[in-house]
Amino acid sequence: MSPAPLVEVDRLWRVFDVSGPWLNRVLERRPRLFLTAVADVSFAIGRRETFALVGESGSGKSTIAKIIVGLLPPSEGDVRIDGISMSSPEARKKRADLRRRIQMIFQDPYASLNPRWRVDRIIAEPLRAFGLMRDRKDIEGRVAELLELVGLDPSDGHKYPHEFSGGQRQRIAIARALAANPEFIVCDEPTSALDVSVQAQILNLMRDLQDQLGLTYLFISHNLAVVRHMATRIGVLYLGRLVEVAPSRELFSNPRHPYTRMLLDAVPDLEMTGRVRRPVEGEIPNPINPPKGCGFHPRCPYQNERCRRETPILSDENGRLVACHGVAEARI
Amino acid sequence: MRIPVLSVRNLYVAFATRRADLVALEDVSFDIAEGEILGVVGESGAGKSVTGAAVIGLIEPPGRITGGEIRLKGERIDNLPLSAMRKIRGKRIGMVFQDPLTSLNPLFRIGDQIVETMMVHLDLSAAEARRRAIELLGEVGIPAPEQRIDAFPHELSGGMRQRVVLAMVLCTNPELIIADEPTTALDVSVQAQIIALLKRLAKSHGTSVMLITHDMGVIAETADRVAVMYAGRIVEIGPVREVLKNPRHPYTQGLMGSIPTLTSDAERLVQIPGSMPRLNARPPGCAFNPRCALAIDRCLCERPPLVGDDRAKVACWLVEAEEGAEQRGEVLS
Amino acid sequence: MQKTYSQPTSRREALGSTLRRAWDSDLAWSFRHSPMAILASFTTLVFFLLALFAPWIAPQNAFDPGAIRLEDGFLEPMERSSSTGMLYVLGTDSQGRDILSAILYGSRISLLVGFASVGFSMVLGVTLGLIAGFVGGRTDALIMRIADIQLSFPAILIALLVFGIGRGLIPPSQHEQMAIIVLIIAIGLSHWAQYARTVRGSTMVEKGKEYVQAARVMGRSSLAIMREHVLPNVIGPVLVIATINLALAIIEEATLSFLGVGVPPTQPSLGTLIRVGQQFLFSGEWWILLFPSLALIILALAVNLFGDWLRDALNPRLK
Repeated sequence: MSPAPLVEVDRLWRVFDVSGPWLNRVLERRPRLFLTAVADVSFAIGRRETFALVGESGSGKSTIAKIIVGLLPPSEGDVRIDGISMSSPEARKKRADLRRRIQMIFQDPYASLNPRWRVDRIIAEPLRAFGLMRDRKDIEGRVAELLELVGLDPSDGHKYPHEFSGGQRQRIAIARALAANPEFIVCDEPTSALDVSVQAQILNLMRDLQDQLGLTYLFISHNLAVVRHMATRIGVLYLGRLVEVAPSRELFSNPRHPYTRMLLDAVPDLEMTGRVRRPVEGEIPNPINPPKGCGFHPRCPYQNERCRRETPILSDENGRLVACHGVAEARI
Repeated sequence: MRIPVLSVRNLYVAFATRRADLVALEDVSFDIAEGEILGVVGESGAGKSVTGAAVIGLIEPPGRITGGEIRLKGERIDNLPLSAMRKIRGKRIGMVFQDPLTSLNPLFRIGDQIVETMMVHLDLSAAEARRRAIELLGEVGIPAPEQRIDAFPHELSGGMRQRVVLAMVLCTNPELIIADEPTTALDVSVQAQIIALLKRLAKSHGTSVMLITHDMGVIAETADRVAVMYAGRIVEIGPVREVLKNPRHPYTQGLMGSIPTLTSDAERLVQIPGSMPRLNARPPGCAFNPRCALAIDRCLCERPPLVGDDRAKVACWLVEAEEGAEQRGEVLS
Repeated sequence: MQKTYSQPTSRREALGSTLRRAWDSDLAWSFRHSPMAILASFTTLVFFLLALFAPWIAPQNAFDPGAIRLEDGFLEPMERSSSTGMLYVLGTDSQGRDILSAILYGSRISLLVGFASVGFSMVLGVTLGLIAGFVGGRTDALIMRIADIQLSFPAILIALLVFGIGRGLIPPSQHEQMAIIVLIIAIGLSHWAQYARTVRGSTMVEKGKEYVQAARVMGRSSLAIMREHVLPNVIGPVLVIATINLALAIIEEATLSFLGVGVPPTQPSLGTLIRVGQQFLFSGEWWILLFPSLALIILALAVNLFGDWLRDALNPRLK
């Protein structure tokens, strides 16, 4: 029996109004435009697990991250942390505590630290914001401890962000995320702005911290190799919908959804094994005007009339969660 | 021996600041043979883009070439006057940037831009140029080129724009294409298409390519040879398979180990401590010595030269010591 | 166990390193290598100090009717008073007021009005710009449309209008005391829109940055984010505008005083002196007009040149 998951995302939808300003719309006789960034996405993350969302641009992965940490409200659906629905009246009372338990690491370490703040003030911000510490000496001690935890020197707290390299900045951002002792950290492309040798440092650090502090990660990335290295389970997103969810190993050894297969074939073959790959076809459609039926059908070699008409939903096919008519009909 | 299409010898580039001249490139030498794709790989600040800019004569002040020479088919181009260089840039050397909109004017139809380029550099009639443009657009994989030729850049997706840029670069039959991170802004699936296209085009047109990227995967897929740069110098150069499978420089070794792959099951990635030194803080000796686990005393004070045979070269005292020992027939314990 | 955590620098050392870093910064370097900037800031500083210490420097209290001797009227520069033997370096006006003293005291009023009105419009503009950029939507539209309307009228017209309304609202008995405050508000209100626009633009850029999102994830209030995170990052360009606007505000004050709607005649500013002086231009007493005008030109020019340099130094791309 598995224990209750820490995070549950339940039938999440997010629609953005991307119409022009009202006056322009009326004058130019253009209709309102809506972009469905996230459509009917559900998943659960267990404690100490790393759940990864992969997808290309327009897949809605960052939108999901923002909804979970509370930066955006969902259009429909619910996020539950430890069984408490974020939209419930109960959550309103406990909001500060719920927020404390969820933190976020951002993509761009050059933009995620306020350039006018000293590093010790940056790292101490959550301590002050959540009212965890008031005494200056306590805060100083905690900041020094956090800096050491992420592999920096306690005296670095007196410097400004511009004095650090990209990798060191991401360490500072991690220290800030850890300041309030969160359980769950949403990582939005945490290494895609970094060089590979620095990426390795940060990924190793994140794994060490997870073991040390018992953290749960939602790891968002477009880089399949990084995701494979980090995640225990992976959800593949295409045009705002989850098309496949599987344990990391299974997804890479036996991808079921045609999009997952295509994505794996698109990854450059660094080891030059010469593995046989199907050339990738087509591009991601405009999410404002997505294809009818299955969003992937225009690029899918297996598509048929049903795929063009009916949107497949994520369902259990022989122990694997896939949203594909072809898999359901055992055609693929 | 045939003359290489591009030959760079002992190139130095410096940026003048009010404090000192910051040396961005130091003693960079390499050749690109006809029809060859040379990958230039390195992390940010390694000097790979500066190398590309130097070859094409686009180093912006306060930067300047302070030494060495660049030859295109044996002819020196690093000291040409601006107007002569501009001609070479349009015709004999093509440039592909990360953002296709750098090369495409948003106010003109894509076809007109290709036709214009051809008419300036080649002796073609307008009708002939347009016919060639449609042909090229088809070749780079633009569907329905007869209609798309009249599209504006903003009407195309990022991947399609990069295809158009490739068509525009190819239209004058250049001898060399410099592609600076051509796929970095694209999604994985589109990146795979552009890489395959670039490779195919280079082969079918016999064009040499200098492919600048930070992504080893792209190099592995595309390049024939690879030059690994670190802190303004080439630390290792050689056939791609050899360098990637059997790297000799400790930096290349670390770099290869630090990349997560689809097949390895290592719990931890190889970690190179620290980060690339800033331009104004490069250490004496081998620039990699503060991050190198194998550094010896000599690495701390003396710059290792790039040595080896025509195929593969490495700039590392350890490799040199090892090979010297082998040559003298000594047995390394 | 004692944590091995040392306070690396004392407060004094920290201050020392901050000063060293400031001296070494690109801005300071650019300043040291720009004769124009040095000259302009030196001139401004001299004016400022002269005005500040006018009561101790000036030969005469220009605001004190008792100190003025009518029999010394229309004395030429470098002439001495027949009664007291006092030297009038720049001559006297029709009532025997020492022009040099009048300029020193007048600069005081001009600079006071200049600084205060710039401060007022800066606070107003920055606040409204921050709110417009950060909140967005209708609030933004409302504030920016008001700014547009404001910008479509010449600043001097707005100032005249506000000044007129201000005088209408205040009982005539208090006109004298309130005149300067009304003037400051009038000039300040005619310039806020520029700050608001600039700050709104940079606020919208900063708002999208991840450090603002990080603060939101921590549940910080919008007010705290605006004040602690966004404001320090958008204030740079504002200081440049403020410097250039200081020159404009000084000229605007002079214009209003020249038109006779500015400061009361008992507390003449540079503008008032010029208004008074131009009556005597054709009767041969040229110095009454010339010296206050020169003072105004030099002051406005110096401040303006300093502002220009500051803008270029902070924005190398604009050069």
